[in-house]
Amino acid sequence: MFLSAGKTSSVPSKMAIATKKIKELLEDLAYLESYAQDLFSFLPLPIFYLSPRGVILEANPATEKISGLKSYELVGESIEIFFGKKTQEILDLLKKEKLIEAKEYTFFDKKKRPIPVSLFAQPRKRERETVGYFVGIYDLSQIKKVEEELKKAQLALLNMLEDTEQARKRAEEEKEKTLAIISNFSDGLLFFDQQKRLILINPQAQKFFDLSAREVEGKSLEQLLKIEKLKPLIELLKKEEEVYRQELTLRENLILEATSLPILRERKKIGELLILHDVTREKRIERMKTEFVSIAAHQLRTPLSAIKWTLRMFLDGDLGEITEEQREFLAKTYKSNERMIILINDLLNVTRIEEGRYLYRPVFVNFLDLVQSVINLFKEEIKNKKIQFKLIKPKKILRVKVDQEKMRVAIQNLIDNALRYTLPGGKVTVEIKCAKMELEFSVKDSGVGIPQDQQDRVFTKFFRGANVIRMETEGSGLGLFITKNIIEAHRGRIWFKSKENVGSTFYFTLPLKEEFEEFLRKF
Amino acid sequence: MKKILIVEDEEILLHLLQKKLSQEGYQVGIARDGLEGLQKMREEKPDLVLLDIVMPRMGGFEVMEEMRKDKELKDICVIVISNSGQPVELDQAQRLGAKDWLIKTEFDPQEVIEKVKKQIGK
Repeated sequence: MFLSAGKTSSVPSKMAIATKKIKELLEDLAYLESYAQDLFSFLPLPIFYLSPRGVILEANPATEKISGLKSYELVGESIEIFFGKKTQEILDLLKKEKLIEAKEYTFFDKKKRPIPVSLFAQPRKRERETVGYFVGIYDLSQIKKVEEELKKAQLALLNMLEDTEQARKRAEEEKEKTLAIISNFSDGLLFFDQQKRLILINPQAQKFFDLSAREVEGKSLEQLLKIEKLKPLIELLKKEEEVYRQELTLRENLILEATSLPILRERKKIGELLILHDVTREKRIERMKTEFVSIAAHQLRTPLSAIKWTLRMFLDGDLGEITEEQREFLAKTYKSNERMIILINDLLNVTRIEEGRYLYRPVFVNFLDLVQSVINLFKEEIKNKKIQFKLIKPKKILRVKVDQEKMRVAIQNLIDNALRYTLPGGKVTVEIKCAKMELEFSVKDSGVGIPQDQQDRVFTKFFRGANVIRMETEGSGLGLFITKNIIEAHRGRIWFKSKENVGSTFYFTLPLKEEFEEFLRKF
Repeated sequence: MKKILIVEDEEILLHLLQKKLSQEGYQVGIARDGLEGLQKMREEKPDLVLLDIVMPRMGGFEVMEEMRKDKELKDICVIVISNSGQPVELDQAQRLGAKDWLIKTEFDPQEVIEKVKKQIGK
């Protein structure tokens, strides 16, 4: 410029140049301004410009978006609308610091919804004086959400770990508890897995067999069979499909009762538990009881025989003449004594059943003949009580293999009951028929019946119906117990139907060998 | 006159049988246990022995075993008087040579006479 100062002719052109320059500068400025404006508008980050007192002077579209307020609504408002109570703190900070970078605050939008944000701010200065602040905020809600979820996930993971640990501890405790129970159990316990290997034997069982766990654990049935001490048990296990209260005599003074049960886990069988219960004492007491009754009954038979024979000889006149009145009394006494003998015989039969000494010697008989011979014993009683007695015979000859003496007792007991508990003039029907491969025998009476609530005890020892005890004092309550044992020893079944004051029907079946063979031939 | 020996520890039964059999015309001896029974058998040589099973000192089965070993006694007819009448007991009596048996509570004295008569007659 100074070099061309002397050239007046160049003044207008200099002016023109300057004007042009200014114009260009203005254009540049306008361009720059619009550039800044565009950038300001385009930025996805909310940015606004504040006065030193915190009044919004300008806000970009992103600010409009996050706040939900239009620019014209924002301009002139304090940033209190954004930061509420925290406003003063922010303003103080702005005054103090040159720069605020990433400080977390809560931003409130138009609807006062809190939004976590990270705040950036920088003062704008002119000649050292602060004329305003640029403030930018960064929406953290998405990050916060992720962070929260992460925290939750982490927490959940920690919880899970803790639960697993607790579960492990609990399982450990349970295991120890179970082991303690197994170890201290007074019954012997043996656990076999699905391959029938002995997995566990508790101390009590080791004591029973007088061996240690080391000798047997992990071994298969075959291997165990070779151990002499275990032989009786293993043989039992191999023989029986299902072991339920099986008696096992190990030594003179050690009788066990073995029961096995499947162990299931989630409905799948994982093995078998064998429980050995020491019943030595019970068995001893049971035997003593049976022996006692047996001896008592035996001892009673001798004096009863003496009485019977003495009375008989008096009645027969062997011991001299007696008056008619004396005879009558003696005859009654004789009858009472006979009843006593029957009772004692019943008792003895029961003890024999319990001792397992009730022997059966089966022979083939015509069943009808057997029944008729029993009925003959009751002819007089049927006549005296005016009972309408009927025998329905089978359509063909039925031969059965029975112990005649015992079968007579069974039939006699049933007919005797029917007659005894039927009032004079009542009906008793005996029927024998062939049902499939069985013979079915029944005695139907129109008697007093068995009370409904007592029917499940009918076949137990010493059972007597409450209504029967009242009407007649005779009867030991052993007849049906004995009968049931006799029928079942012949592989038959016994049952009854009864209604109080209407009558009872007792049934039993016996397998017919010939019918069964006939049945087999058909196949 | 036929001789009968009753070996029975129950006093009443013993006397009743003795009376009944005597009335029937038999000569009757008595013993209260097995040992005494064997001794009487050797002394009296009876035609028939009515023998109880359960007795003090020596029981009926042992008596029969002794009789089998003794030439003089082994042919004497024995009828067992049983208290229980259990098949096992009767089987054993039969094995040891008893000709017949009777169960005390089931037989009348008259029936005893009949059994005796069947074996040795009047």
